[in-house]
Amino acid sequence: MTQLLELRDNIKSLFAKYDVFIFPVLKFLMAMVTLLMINSKLGYMSRLNNFGIVLIIALACSFLPNGAILFFAALVSMAHVFALSPEVAIIIAVIYMLIYLLYLRFTPSESLCIVATPIMFVMHIPYVVPVVMGLIGGPASALSVVCGVIVYFALHTVTVNAANVSGNISDLMSEIRLIIDSLLGNKQMIVLVVAFAVVTITVYVIRRLPIEHAWTLAEASGAFFCMLIVLIGGLVQNAGFSIIGILFGCILSFAIGKVIEFFRFCVDYTRTERVQFEDDDYYYFVKAVPKMNVAAPEKKVKNINRSHKSYVAKGRKEPSEEIYEDEYAEDFLMTEDDDIKIRN
Amino acid sequence: MLNEDRVILMTRMAAYEAGEGKKHMNVVRFFKGDYVAVGILKAMVCATVSYALIIGLYIYYNFDVFLSNMYDMDILEFVRGILIKYAWFLGIYVLITYIVCTIRYNYSRRKLKRYYKNLWVLKKMYDKQ
Repeated sequence: MTQLLELRDNIKSLFAKYDVFIFPVLKFLMAMVTLLMINSKLGYMSRLNNFGIVLIIALACSFLPNGAILFFAALVSMAHVFALSPEVAIIIAVIYMLIYLLYLRFTPSESLCIVATPIMFVMHIPYVVPVVMGLIGGPASALSVVCGVIVYFALHTVTVNAANVSGNISDLMSEIRLIIDSLLGNKQMIVLVVAFAVVTITVYVIRRLPIEHAWTLAEASGAFFCMLIVLIGGLVQNAGFSIIGILFGCILSFAIGKVIEFFRFCVDYTRTERVQFEDDDYYYFVKAVPKMNVAAPEKKVKNINRSHKSYVAKGRKEPSEEIYEDEYAEDFLMTEDDDIKIRN
Repeated sequence: MLNEDRVILMTRMAAYEAGEGKKHMNVVRFFKGDYVAVGILKAMVCATVSYALIIGLYIYYNFDVFLSNMYDMDILEFVRGILIKYAWFLGIYVLITYIVCTIRYNYSRRKLKRYYKNLWVLKKMYDKQ
């Protein structure tokens, strides 16, 4: 455990030290993965399937605000759908605009969640999203997760029905009907929208409860509720979920929740302190739970070079390249590993 | 002599000022009523555009039905139904916006108050020196 805590502290300090470089790199990777996934799943516009274009957009996203990833992802996905059928692209554009106008303009910071949810779907681990957002987000994150689910299923519906969508003017009405009917009648989407919204709010509420092991309880109950709602909903609606996928996904969501807990809320309940005091107006009952921390091992650097001043004071020449040639060379011995040892 | 407490306070304040503080200052520079009113106005525009998009999509979806029933349908009744639903939609969205804007304004004000209190503490530290 101590080693894990040390590792955590090292990672945290690394992020704190190099955040100027790490965050742009992470944004770049996120944009890259998103665009490559869009290209691989949709990919109807051949010009956008160029790796160079993906690279340029990802590079732009790395120094633009987080919302840029969502903006470019929306733009690229719409362009692909437009290449397939302009009428279907209108439907996708309306969905994007509704999400922005009704929700996202309030909380632009949640845009990453809307990008991450479809990615998790493509990676077959969507059940992780509500548990994670319940842990790191607020109650409004439920809406972000729901928007992400809708975006995924909208694009999924297009890919599933791509063969039936020709962009032919004579089939215009039937194409539009096909897409809208497939989307609104998608039972999996309805079950997942309900399940993810309930799980996100449940995890958030339990995490905030003033009880011991609230985070662990939140993760466990989130995974359990997710499994329960999806299984029951799937059976009632006959939505055709994979039971093994649900079980595996919920266990994974619990495991990832534990990792997040380790980084964000690692406390030692065995050392809980309860104090009671009063002032003129109130009695205070305070419960203090100490964080799990390890003292970082101090690195003592022994300076084996004589200081510049001492050489100057003694009227000697400062040792540089000639160090191994002149009289000071006898103080040092270079080993094969370039370690410097003091010769006694 | 370097005052450690003062440096810590100044660092925290600078971090707040550069991050969240910017947003909070943008919110609190309005009176509460004005801020909420602007939020509601924006919400009304967004709700109207969203509703128009939904209705547009609905008509687009049922276009051939509309074309075939154009002379039989009661257009006034149809428009009345749309307007009543629009009023409900607008009302609910504006109410949500009012609550969000109020909570956001109060939160920003509280945070900024703490910031100004810290400024005062900092001034006292300098005076003491």
